[in-house]
Amino acid sequence: MTAPDPDEAGDDPEYRDSGLARERTSLSWTRTAIAFAALGGTVLKVNLATGLIILVIAPVIWQLGRVSRGALPGADGGPPAMSEVSATRLFIITVSIVGVALLCLVIAILGRSAPGALR
Amino acid sequence: MSWSSRLAALLPGRVERDTGGTEPDPRFTFANERTFLAWSRTALALVVAGLGIVQLLPPFPGVPAGRHLLGVPLIALGAVLAVAAYTEWVRNQRALRRGEPMPLSVMPWILAATITGIAIIAAVVLLLSALR
Repeated sequence: MTAPDPDEAGDDPEYRDSGLARERTSLSWTRTAIAFAALGGTVLKVNLATGLIILVIAPVIWQLGRVSRGALPGADGGPPAMSEVSATRLFIITVSIVGVALLCLVIAILGRSAPGALR
Repeated sequence: MSWSSRLAALLPGRVERDTGGTEPDPRFTFANERTFLAWSRTALALVVAGLGIVQLLPPFPGVPAGRHLLGVPLIALGAVLAVAAYTEWVRNQRALRRGEPMPLSVMPWILAATITGIAIIAAVVLLLSALR
């Protein structure tokens, strides 16, 4: 599973250029940031402080996807090598979701419910 | 391998230092990352669904704990899925680097089993609520 040889790429644009995969991954990061924002908006209805915290995470997540958007230069000034795509970014997302889930668990168990708050 | 060393192997510093094998095709690395992100969004959706059930639904008549029975497991499952997604990403990335077969994922099984369980609880809560 090594990088494709450009001479053997054939007609498949996906095979010739990994840019499409990069773009799909970039869109995926954007969707994840939007999901965080949507969750923050929902939580905002029941707990203002927690909702704001989650809303602040959304642009951070979007920014974490910058490697997939190719904004970071590689060691030679070109696009970043995949080895530079660190596990730290994905670890931060995992920790964020677990933290948000714990906050929501506390709100769910201890918070006052507001039936019909979204009406 | 003990549990503590297994957990330590998942820390980002360890994962980045793991240089075994060769750099895989970027398309596979991107695909692995997108799969992780898709599971993360699923985890977030479960959290928001659980919170919505507990906080925004009107109480079930005659079943005061009904909303918590449905919502709290969903939120907990969201946290579990997020951790499992990261673990899967690490395992898949290692397999890609070494050219090994991709490991089998247990996440669809966890998701299906939990959603089935919650659907059964929801049916019981609704029946009890309707009978009262």
